[in-house]
Amino acid sequence: MPTLNDKDLNNNIVDVQSFAMNFGRKKVINNLSFNVRKGEVFGFLGANGAGKTTTIRTLLGLYEPTGGTLNIDGKRYNPRMSATIGYLPEERGLYRNELVINTMVYFAILHGLDENVARKRAFTYLKRVGLADKAYERLVKLSGGQQQKIQLGVTILHEPSLMILDEPTEALDPVNRSLLMDIIGERRSKGATVMLVTHRMDEVEQLCDRILMLKNGSAALYGKIDEVKEQFGPQIIVLNFSGKLPANDKLYKITKKSANYAELTWRENVSTDEVLKYLANNNELHLKTFDVRLPSLNDIFLELYKDEEAGK
Amino acid sequence: MSRLIDVISFEVRRNIKKKTFWYTTLVLPVIIIAVFAITQASSNHATNTSQQQTTSYSKTAKLAVLDETGLVNKQNLEKLHIAIEPNKQAGINAVKDGQLTAFFYYSNDVAKSGIQVYAQDQGITFTPPYNALASELLSQSAVAKISAATHNSQALQIIENAPSITATTYKNGAETNSLAGIVAPIIFFAIFIFFAIMISYFTIAATTEEKENRVAEILLTTIKSRSLIIGKILSILLLGIIQIIVIIVPLIIAYAIFHNHIRLPGGVSLSHIPLDPKAIAIGISVLLLGLVMFTGALVGFGSLFPSAQDASRYLALVIIWAFLPLYALGYIVSSPHAHIVTVFTYFPLTAPSTVLLRNAVGTLSNGEAVAAIIILFVSAIIAILFAIRAFSIGAMSYNKRISIKELFHQ
Repeated sequence: MPTLNDKDLNNNIVDVQSFAMNFGRKKVINNLSFNVRKGEVFGFLGANGAGKTTTIRTLLGLYEPTGGTLNIDGKRYNPRMSATIGYLPEERGLYRNELVINTMVYFAILHGLDENVARKRAFTYLKRVGLADKAYERLVKLSGGQQQKIQLGVTILHEPSLMILDEPTEALDPVNRSLLMDIIGERRSKGATVMLVTHRMDEVEQLCDRILMLKNGSAALYGKIDEVKEQFGPQIIVLNFSGKLPANDKLYKITKKSANYAELTWRENVSTDEVLKYLANNNELHLKTFDVRLPSLNDIFLELYKDEEAGK
Repeated sequence: MSRLIDVISFEVRRNIKKKTFWYTTLVLPVIIIAVFAITQASSNHATNTSQQQTTSYSKTAKLAVLDETGLVNKQNLEKLHIAIEPNKQAGINAVKDGQLTAFFYYSNDVAKSGIQVYAQDQGITFTPPYNALASELLSQSAVAKISAATHNSQALQIIENAPSITATTYKNGAETNSLAGIVAPIIFFAIFIFFAIMISYFTIAATTEEKENRVAEILLTTIKSRSLIIGKILSILLLGIIQIIVIIVPLIIAYAIFHNHIRLPGGVSLSHIPLDPKAIAIGISVLLLGLVMFTGALVGFGSLFPSAQDASRYLALVIIWAFLPLYALGYIVSSPHAHIVTVFTYFPLTAPSTVLLRNAVGTLSNGEAVAAIIILFVSAIIAILFAIRAFSIGAMSYNKRISIKELFHQ
């Protein structure tokens, strides 16, 4: 596996500092700083139009930044470094009329592999993902999911030490999504760093060590998942109940409610004990279970972008 | 460098396997061969049919002549069962009455007034060879009389077939072969025009393919846009050369076999095609630089559009420059110092066609050739830089056309 040099004392493979990007008069990214550490899975999250793809394209030298620095392994990216990078873009595709094997070998060669090694690895990969019999098919003959697997193969065949995957599980069925997550997990276990762009919070919770949530071109939340959850704000009380859940603005606020389920956040200067005592003593309410926990990433995501959703 | 070779190799291999490449390559030679074969077959058929019709017609039809010139051979008339009619009006009346199929009248001043033919109308679907027979009767008899009078077989041959002309011309004391001398350098012009026709859409399609297939983003993170575009341009040129070879090789073989029999209009023999090293060197230089510039411009132009279909609507804006000098062909050949020729010679997009034409007809001075080559060299570099810039900017604009403003401000 090609390795990145290890001179970087703070162990960052990606380092973005004060990144700003304008398209004409439109500010897309504003003073964004973050880093990705070697060997971690980093979730790069945000709603559509938040600036994720712009950041990645600028990181990979496809755009020039308006301001700030974006480095990979301490340097501005250039295509000579492609042997260590595997990039699966959001807008993806391959030469539709070309044979699967030729496409995989061509891109592996461009990533610096010898043709024979590339061919051997391509066949191994195709066998792994159940497409060995499609090696000499034209890509256009393959289903969307099968093309997606070939696309991932093109991204990882040269065994990069940094993989930047933009919505890698998009358009995959659950079986293939699981297969792909396994492959990403394997790459990670061999020391590769993964920068994952996804809308699927379950994947983020499953895979990521740290995340950055981007909103309006700035980092809204950044850090380890638990830290982000704590940064985001109050824990929630999750209730399963029967009867009638009373409203009590002085103690808590009901954030989510259905017939027998509710989520509450409690007011400042009020403890969870007070809230639970109040609910337990309420004659019209019969509590079955309760839990005090941090909000899920999905909750955070929805809360963070609810004003944008409302704006729509 | 190795990635450049990888790109060229991949592009050439995958395009050469495409059916459309071979369709476009073979369509022109197939059309030329088909038209040539049909023309030859039609010509032979027409000649044979005409001769057969003339002979059989004279045997089956009832014909008569009145010859006031005394030139028409009486034995010929007997052989063809053609009667002699003593009176013009009687002959015309016999045709009107249906007693004769046709009546030919050769007046005393036939050379001036021409042969008069009176014949039955047999409908538009059948055209009897009245005219050919009437004409042949007179000309064969006249030739026979001259031949008998001169006792000179060469005179007879000269009358029957005009002799060929072998012209020897001199320039600055040295022997030249002006018309045949055009042949070699004009091939470079023909190749350039062929390239403009055959390769332009192919170039646009090859350029937008990355965008349409959403491959550009991966490519540009693995290979520098400069290497990718130069690789594309070189692969397109290579494919163009393959197309040209496919067309030219059969022509060279045909020339090797038939060169003693090929004549240009005006009787110019192609048994020997002069090769002027200077004209050939200028032709090669201008052709190569012109092709690189033209391909670079096309790649850049194609990169501005989201798809080949969109780009093809505006394709004429680029390729028209290759053909524009043909509108000034008269000036290029006869008035090389006209303002329009000067402008076309030095304006980069019209320079290749103009300079190649002037190089062929011999109106290009050494100074003009050097200046044009320098202009084309610089233009080719600018075209490649434009292509790289346009591809880099346009590669990720998947759904919209890139404006010139965006090209320079992004």
